[in-house]
Order: sequence, then C-alpha cells, then structure tokens
Amino acid sequence: MPSAPRNPTVVEKLRRHLISQEGVLFMIMLVSVLFLATRTDKFLTVDNLLQQGRFMTEVGLIAIPMTYIIITGGIDLSVGSILGLTAIVLGWSWQELGFPLELAIVTGIASGTLAGFVNGLFIVRVGVPPLIMTLATLALFRGLAEGISKARSARGYPEWFFELGQGEFLGIPTQLWLLIVAVLVFGIVLARTQLGRALYAIGNNETGARFSGLTVNRYLLLIYTFSGFMSGVAGYIFVSRVSTTRSDMGTGIELDVIAAVVLGGTSIFGGTGSVAGTMIGVVLIQLLKNGLALSGVTSDATIVVIGSVLIFAILVNNFIQTRRGGD
Amino acid sequence: MTDVLLQMQGINKNFPGVQALKEAHFEVRRGEVHALIGENGAGKSTMIKIVSGVYQPDSGDIQLDGRAVHFGNPREAHLAGIATIYQELGLYPELSVAENIFMGHAPMKKRLGLWTIDWEQMESGAEDLLAELNIHDLDVGAKVGTLNVGNRQRVEIAKALSLDAQILIMDEPTAALTESDVEQLFSIVRLLRERGVSIIYISHRLNEVFELADRVTVLRDGETIGTQQVSMTSEAELISMMVGRKIENLFPKQVAQIGDVVLEVRNLQRPPLTRDISFSVRAGEIVGLAGLVGSGRSETAQVIFGVLPAESGEIVINGAPVKINKPSEAVAQGIGYVPEDRGHQGLIREMTIRENTSMAVLETVSRHTFINRAQERSLANRSIQQLSIRATGPEQITNKLSGGNQQKVVVSKWLASEPSLLIMDEPTRGIDVGAKAEIHRLMSRLAAEEGLAILMISSELPEILAMSDRILVMREGRLVGEFSRDEATQETIAHAMMSEAARQAASAAP
Repeated sequence: MPSAPRNPTVVEKLRRHLISQEGVLFMIMLVSVLFLATRTDKFLTVDNLLQQGRFMTEVGLIAIPMTYIIITGGIDLSVGSILGLTAIVLGWSWQELGFPLELAIVTGIASGTLAGFVNGLFIVRVGVPPLIMTLATLALFRGLAEGISKARSARGYPEWFFELGQGEFLGIPTQLWLLIVAVLVFGIVLARTQLGRALYAIGNNETGARFSGLTVNRYLLLIYTFSGFMSGVAGYIFVSRVSTTRSDMGTGIELDVIAAVVLGGTSIFGGTGSVAGTMIGVVLIQLLKNGLALSGVTSDATIVVIGSVLIFAILVNNFIQTRRGGD
Repeated sequence: MTDVLLQMQGINKNFPGVQALKEAHFEVRRGEVHALIGENGAGKSTMIKIVSGVYQPDSGDIQLDGRAVHFGNPREAHLAGIATIYQELGLYPELSVAENIFMGHAPMKKRLGLWTIDWEQMESGAEDLLAELNIHDLDVGAKVGTLNVGNRQRVEIAKALSLDAQILIMDEPTAALTESDVEQLFSIVRLLRERGVSIIYISHRLNEVFELADRVTVLRDGETIGTQQVSMTSEAELISMMVGRKIENLFPKQVAQIGDVVLEVRNLQRPPLTRDISFSVRAGEIVGLAGLVGSGRSETAQVIFGVLPAESGEIVINGAPVKINKPSEAVAQGIGYVPEDRGHQGLIREMTIRENTSMAVLETVSRHTFINRAQERSLANRSIQQLSIRATGPEQITNKLSGGNQQKVVVSKWLASEPSLLIMDEPTRGIDVGAKAEIHRLMSRLAAEEGLAILMISSELPEILAMSDRILVMREGRLVGEFSRDEATQETIAHAMMSEAARQAASAAP
C-alpha cells in the first residue's frame, strides 16, 4: 500500500544522526578524548591540539580522494609513493635543475598528478584492477623517487617556503586552513554534485551506471588523477613542514589513510561513505596516537590500541546498523 | 495422518511497513508437484523462505510429517529434508560438479592418520546421483562455471538429492532456461515426483503450472486465496484469483500514427552476434525483434546503445548519421535502453527510486553540476504516479520493490530522458500478469500518443505478435525475416527463428 511519507520530527532526525556511522564514530572520539584528558594534562590543550592538526593534514588531504576511490569500489595504494616522488621532484628540480622554487613546487605537484593519471589510465583503459595497478606503482613511483634523488636529500630552502608547513594564520597552522577548505569543498562535491552521485552509482553497480549512460571511465580517470594531485599537495606540505626532502617520505602513509577512510564508515566494497566520516576517522587516529604517547604509552602499545579501536568501532557500528537494518 | 507432508497454518509475517503474510495457509502432499503462484509481492517468496528456514514466522504452525517443527535457520530446514533451488543459483563456479554436489558433506576417509576428502567416492557418488536423474552427459570433474544454466540447475538438483530432500522448492526454475533445458527439467521433476519427493514449484508461467503441477495454491496480498486441483481449473480462473479482478485485455495495443524514420541502421557489423544488420524504426511504431536465445537480439540492441560498439556500419538517428561508441553517446542521441538483466544492468538496486529515476538525466536536474534534490524528488513522484509504481515514496530503496515495480522504475528512468527511441529488452520477463499488462498498456500509449519509436525484444511470441506493428526475426547474428503485423503468425515467426537443421528435424519428427 502506498502510504504518504511522513516528515521526520526533530527528535527522530537527531536520533538518526546519532546512530549514523558518523555519529557513532564521533561518540567514540569524544569518549577517547575525555579518557585521554584524564591521563595527562598535556593532551587537552589548545597548543597540542593545533599541533596535531598540523601533523594530520597530509593524511587528511590524501584521505579525501581515497574516500572517493573507495566509494567506487577501488583503492589507491600508491599515494605514499606519489607523495615521496613529488617531494623529490620538487627538491631536485629546484636544487639540481635550478628551477625557481615556485616553478619547482608546481613541477612537483604536476608530477604527482601525472602519476595519478597514469594509475587511472591503466585502470580504465587496460582494465588492470586498481589494487594490482597501484600496488605496482607503489613500488614503481618509490623507485623513481630513489633513482632521481640518488639517496641525497635537498635542504636549504628559503624562509618563505616553510610558511605553509610551519607557519600560522590567525593562530591556526597554515596547512590546517587548507585541509578545512578542502574538506568543505570536496565534502559538498561528493554529497551534492553529479560527480558524487556517479561515484556512489559506480560503487554500487558499475554496469548499471554504464547502462544508464554515465561516463564511468571519465569519472574514474578523474578521481585517480585527483588522488595523485592531492598526494602531490601533501608532498609539498610535508617538505615544507620538515624542511628537507628525502626519498622515503610518505612511506606507509597509504595504510594510515585507508584505515581512516574505513574507520570513517566508507565500505571497502564501495557504494557508501562520506568525507565527514573520513575526517572523523583521521582525527580520531591522530588524537589516539598523540594522547597515548603523551600518557607515556610506548609506541608499540599505541599501535595495538589503535588497531583495537578500529575493530571496536567497526563492531559497534555493525551492531547498530544491523539492529536498525531490519527495514 | 493422511499423506500430507507439510502443513502450514495461520502464518503471519511482518516486515517494517508491510505485512507480507496474513493468516496464510499452505499444504503439500507427499509426492505431488504443488505450484505456488501469485503476483510479485503476493508473498510467495516470504512463504518459501519460511519453509526453508530463512525467515521465521511471527506466528503460525508448521507441521512436517505430522510433527510441529520450527526452523531457526536454513540449515535446520536442510536437515529436515527441505532443499531450495533459488533463482540465483547457489553454486561455486570455480569448483567441480562433484565438489558442488557434496559441498558441506563430502565423503571422508582417513589417510596417513588425517581425515581427508575421499575424492574417488565423491566422484562416483556424484555420478550415481546424476544417473538417478537420468543425466549421463555431465562430467563430474568439470568446473561448474563452464556449464550452461540448465546443467548448473541439474547440479543443484543433484546436490539437493544428495541431502535426501523430501521437499524440493523450485523458485522460477525456468526463468533462464532454453526450451530444451525446460523439457529436461520437467522430466526430472516428474521423475522425482514418482519417487515420492514433493515439489513446491513457483512460476509466473501458467502454462508450466498446467503442464507440470498436480495442485496449485494462489496467494494475493499475503493471503491464501485458494488451492485448486490443476485439472479442475482454468488459466482464466487462476489469473482472476491472482489479481482479484479480470484483466480484460492482456495485450492492449492502440492504433498508432506511424511517422518518420527515427532509427535506421545499415550493415551493422560486430561478429559473431551482429552480422550485417539493417533495419529501421519509425516514430509511433513498435518493432518486435524475435529470435531464439543466443540469436544476437540483445547484442544488436547493445551495439546500437554503444555497450558493444559496432565495428562497421551506420547508425542514422532522425536522418543524421551518428557515431555511438558508448552508452552516454547513445543517451545523448535520444536513445533509451531497458535492458534484459534488470537487477544488474537496469537498476542500481542499492539506491533509491529518486536516484534511479534521475540517473540518465542528471544534467537536467542539476544546476552548475549541483543536483537539485527537490526537482529530483518531484521527478520521482511524477514517475511513481504515472506508472503507478507501488512504493512507500521516492526515498524507497529499489531493491525492496517487487520485480514489476523495479521494471517500472527502469522504464521511468528512460522516460525521464525523453527519448525518441526506446529499446526494450524482454520488458516483461519475470514480472506478474498485472504489471505486465500495465507495461504493455504504457508501451502502446507511448507509441500511439507520444510518437515514441520502440524496439522490443521478446522471447514470448504472444507478446511479440500482439504488441508489434512490424516483426523482425534474427538467427545466428543475422536478420532473417521481416513480417508485417498482418502476415505474422506464431508459425511463421517460429519457423523463421529456427535454423535449417532444426527445421528439418522438426518436419522429420512425426
């Protein structure tokens, strides 16, 4: 029987938000923060939290395109290597090729973007599964970075270069502004635009999306390229933050990024997820790392705790979603 | 007790928002084929899922062989001798026939002190089981993925027998089978009946009910309308029981004003299933495309729609030659395609009616790439009204709709794109009589009143004959016949569909 759709009341809306994936995660984050705050008084301070914002920007920026990609049912394992490659190309083209630093930055990010484009091209045109393709380029791009750098690091950047990675604007770390803007813009893009809708459609049923006339290949190429671009930007911020360029930069960052995305409620099988959820995941992981370290927990134990929280969050969430999912 | 094997009484089952079964009852005798029919959404699936332990009823009694039973999960039903063969087959394509048959209860033996699978016994056991079903041409070592649908189904039946099933539930078993496979399935079903196995047979095809079943139970809106001896009833009676009203005209075809040529294809080539195809479709015209399964009908449709781009040949839309290399280009040319495989190609089942109906027209419901949800919602509401889609509203997930209503969503997606040509591939396969008539009425109206050109592929000759202004016949990738509405008969079309060899065989037979 067709029944008229009822408008949900405010209380119902609130409840729905609270038991959404993001809501559950947010609650876990609050509990963790409160708990950590009782362990050490160095944790819950404005300075410390802002400092953590600085540290998590690179993961956060890369996690945005990763969310897009995982929503389509894909994955990009090469982001850490692209970050490293970007950093090396930036340093090398400035120091060895004598590019003006501004141009070197652009060249670095452009090479990251190109790397992402190559991923996308092979995935779309040749049909290589994303996992295989980006696993291959994980090694390939890192190798390139090492080859170009010849194990030398670039340093001695001028003062203005550090503004993005080490400076502040209105009391907040400069790169954090960039992350906030990116999250807002790309969160809205995912939730509200044709691109976003297409990504969800592809993740749920790629054939169905194609048969509806969506330009699936174009969208996929676009998001892998976007992933390269954002990894490139993260590479630039990384160099600016640590004042030097080394070829092993960003090693293993892909796992942090993927963990945050999945923790944030994006299904690894594709079809669901949001940028907001991902960001809660990024923040939660960063705060746990920092808070535990400040409480004197060793780094080995910290990893164990983070792993446990990941599993716990997913369990709680599954429990709530199945309870609710009767409908 | 009598010979009643399964007895269900006063079964109630609620899902949020729907009462799927209301005081429903159903009984199966030992060694009978009992057909269970009803429109989509009538409660057939819920009923068999309760029998097979997938769902538990909210209330009601189930007795098996005179004893009250309660199945908490499918395994318990299995152990009690109830096996189900689902529409989507539950086999492992990478494993062999024998492994599939004995999945979960492989014969074991001790070797080197370890329990291992006794492969020889498993293979000979599988051969015996197949032989019992008069199947002698299946290699038990073959991977299931390499078998055709009919053979996979036979494997599934053998698997059920390996568990000593007393009740075999078959859910739309013929939906994907070819004619000869259907014949073989029927003889297996009859064989099982003779051996005392009870079969619950669910089908939309009433002729199968009359050919195969002993008794038939009709469900409507979750209630049991009645059980009849098949020999004592008629097709008309069953249909009126199913829909609760008389369907005056199953194929309401309106006379249409035939206009200009909308689509013309010349020498389309993409072997092996599209060879040198030339034809045209005019505004207001419904062109039926007939042929056996595998004759290249869907492939040709997909060549036109750009899923399988043509290697050579010309496509002309409204007089202008166009290139179509992917579906998006076909959509841009005003072509819509309602595909054969609704769940996989037609819909994104996890998404809502709103999101599905706007899928092909995202541009038009957006401003500067931002989707206007209000506009989307009103589009969805309009579709729900126009096509009388039975749903709770535009935000309902399409997966939760019945087959007929899902199909209406697919059709409404394409109507939203205001196409000049609509290709409909098996538009009414697997949907119930009522929804079928509605889709036919809609097609007629679209052609007659809005001048839409429709290319309809169908395996049902009555549908082809009743709905088409002109009929094309394909065989082995080629167009082999064209008939006007007046000259087409069941015989002429069927004759054209068959190959020379098959024709000779048919005429040689007594």
